[in-house]
Amino acid sequence: MKNDKTIFWLQIASVSWIWIFVMGVAIWILNLIRVAHKLNDALNASVGISIVAIPVFFTLAAILTYVFVGLQKDKHRGDERAKQTGGIDSSWRGAK
Amino acid sequence: MPKWGMVIDLNKCTGCGECVTACKVELNVPVVGPEESAKGRTILCMDILSTYEGEFPEVKMRHMPRPCFHCEHPPCTKVCPVRATYKNDEGIVAQIYPQCIGCRYCQVACPYTVKHFNWTKPEWPEERCEALNPDVSVRPEGVVEKCTFCVHRLQKAKEQAAVDGRDLREGDYVPACVESCPTKAMYFGDLDNPKHKVSQLKKSHRAFRLMEDLGTEPKVYYLSEVE
Amino acid sequence: MSELRHNTFEDEDLIRPIEQTGPGFYLMVAILLGVIVFAGYTYIRQVFLGLGVTGLAQPVSWGFYIINFVFFIGISHAGTLISAILRLSKAEWRRPITRMAEVITAIVLAIGGLHPILDLGRPDRMLHLFTEGRLQSPLLWDVTSITAYFAASTVYLYLPMIPDIAILRDRGTRPRWLYEFLAWGWRGTEHQKKVLERAINILMVMVIPIAISVHTVISFIFSMTIQPGWHSTIFGPYFVVGAIFSGIAALLIVMIAFRKAFDLGKYLKLIHFQYLSTLLLIMSFLWFYFTFAEYLTGFYGHEPNEMRVFLYKFTGDYAPWFWTMGICNFLIPVVILVNPKTKKIPGILIASISVVIGMWLERLIIVVPSLANPRLPYPTGIYIPSLTEWSLFAGGVAVFILAYMLFAKLFPIISIWEIQEGREESVHAVAERLKSYLPDPPSEQLLTEKLGSKR
Repeated sequence: MKNDKTIFWLQIASVSWIWIFVMGVAIWILNLIRVAHKLNDALNASVGISIVAIPVFFTLAAILTYVFVGLQKDKHRGDERAKQTGGIDSSWRGAK
Repeated sequence: MPKWGMVIDLNKCTGCGECVTACKVELNVPVVGPEESAKGRTILCMDILSTYEGEFPEVKMRHMPRPCFHCEHPPCTKVCPVRATYKNDEGIVAQIYPQCIGCRYCQVACPYTVKHFNWTKPEWPEERCEALNPDVSVRPEGVVEKCTFCVHRLQKAKEQAAVDGRDLREGDYVPACVESCPTKAMYFGDLDNPKHKVSQLKKSHRAFRLMEDLGTEPKVYYLSEVE
Repeated sequence: MSELRHNTFEDEDLIRPIEQTGPGFYLMVAILLGVIVFAGYTYIRQVFLGLGVTGLAQPVSWGFYIINFVFFIGISHAGTLISAILRLSKAEWRRPITRMAEVITAIVLAIGGLHPILDLGRPDRMLHLFTEGRLQSPLLWDVTSITAYFAASTVYLYLPMIPDIAILRDRGTRPRWLYEFLAWGWRGTEHQKKVLERAINILMVMVIPIAISVHTVISFIFSMTIQPGWHSTIFGPYFVVGAIFSGIAALLIVMIAFRKAFDLGKYLKLIHFQYLSTLLLIMSFLWFYFTFAEYLTGFYGHEPNEMRVFLYKFTGDYAPWFWTMGICNFLIPVVILVNPKTKKIPGILIASISVVIGMWLERLIIVVPSLANPRLPYPTGIYIPSLTEWSLFAGGVAVFILAYMLFAKLFPIISIWEIQEGREESVHAVAERLKSYLPDPPSEQLLTEKLGSKR
């Protein structure tokens, strides 16, 4: 079961990674707005783009997280049943 | 703020190419070999455009010195992704070589095609290496460069004026090409200052600018040729 | 339940390529790696010697790298966009196609997105984009929108893969930890299915505008300048149409290749190719319409600078390429695909290859002639790409094939659960849906009223 734990933490890490990525993009765009403000260089264009871009990235991360959390709920469901039926518990499973 | 600009009298221009040479020396423009030159990699911050009119034997050759036009609304600065080219307070469109990532977007966006890219490492004949202009930085390969209106001379002139405790006078700041012109076909000064020669010349009925229809508002005026 | 265990798995064909590897695979990988290593060498050489090793010069200072950038990103529209549209329109024949299409997007987008870096004179200063970038520049719009599309399309590729990964995990396919890790605890319960379905639905609606924005923004690189031949309002939709066009062609080539290599004739039937090639045919007409509209306005206006670029393409140095493009993008696909006799797999393959070549030429014809005809009378040469540019082009294609092969080695190339879902539920669902399209049968009340009046 130690293996399961490692994999679980890896999964957590991968989901956190998309948040880090999305935050990185947001920080990057906000930094560009800051520079544009400082140098008085097309601030409105920068703000306009950021209004479109940042929510897109956050929505993406949110969807991925939603799926992860949603799948985790039933993660061990069927383990018991699987033991009884010999490993088959879902219609979308390949037998060998 | 002064608005630096140039007036070129095409009546007086003989197409001798002195301005091109002076520019190359002043700005430490690298010299490319004949092979590279044949490929079209000569860097000419100041160029002379020559056109031929009519059929032989009635041929007329026209010359037009072409610096950077330092547009009021430069199409090149708009597209730069990293602020390596910008218009400064005195209207000079400047390049920041250490900032340039070499994407060449400004080069393709310029309707006058005045920007040049450093395709290779800069090279000079050995004798020239000892005599590079210390006021102008040497560009590394991979960046875009163009005519600067010899902005380093403005810096010097300003400092000199400050030392002398006076304002900048007409003629204190003149780019190398204007200074070198043997027929005095080029004028330089503050376009907004009515006392400067250029601001009078730009009102001449002969004055025109290249591609005014693009709305770039170049700060280089030409005085058309009259027969 | 227990007899299912002894049955051979119905979609064994889709999993076999993952569990068995032939010598051809290794040979192919070796060849591709050779090409990639050579391309890597030429790129490193370019970094050290400067862009002088390319055929670029004044005034044609954008060449193969930018052309390939636009071309690869165009190909990427095959995938996610088409798969999202097919999913959204509930086209049942999409089932064996979507995965393949999405993989194209994810891989080609990564390759295409990196192409501007090849083009940089100073790649060492890339970080300036992050610290000092100007969002006003169309290049930054690209960076943002390609990043968004890449993120969205990888998520959109990954989510529908989860049930299939779970199948591999349950079979114990190696490497086990990978499938265990990627399956995210999928057990196929009702709740999980609902979550996944909802997420896919949101994503496919989201991914369409992102995909369209990507190629629109790429066209903006050109159309935001005031150069003749580029400064055109039609460029956004024109590029999007061209992108989908070349994308479908690339998708068809990939499908035919895998059908042959993995023996997938059972899944990828002639009907799939015919439906998809009908789409290709429609896009060919649409592409022709846009091209016609674009050039006719330029020609009719007869603006001198515009005309020089126009003539350069129609009768000048680029005429051979221009007319080849017309033949490849319009004549060949239309002739092949309107005739039911030639609309078979070999014909479709020829049409698709011709379209991919034609669309590459179109990118060439958009980028170079406008640069080769500056407004002022400068001396101009002809742009001839050097070996460096060719090898990096070959390298890009090799990376695509290799990455695709590795993907097919690790994951099923056809979505197994979607095929099964199609088998189990779709026939019924489609019948129900069809009924809902038909006019409603007269209701009881109406019937009695009618009968009553007669009485």
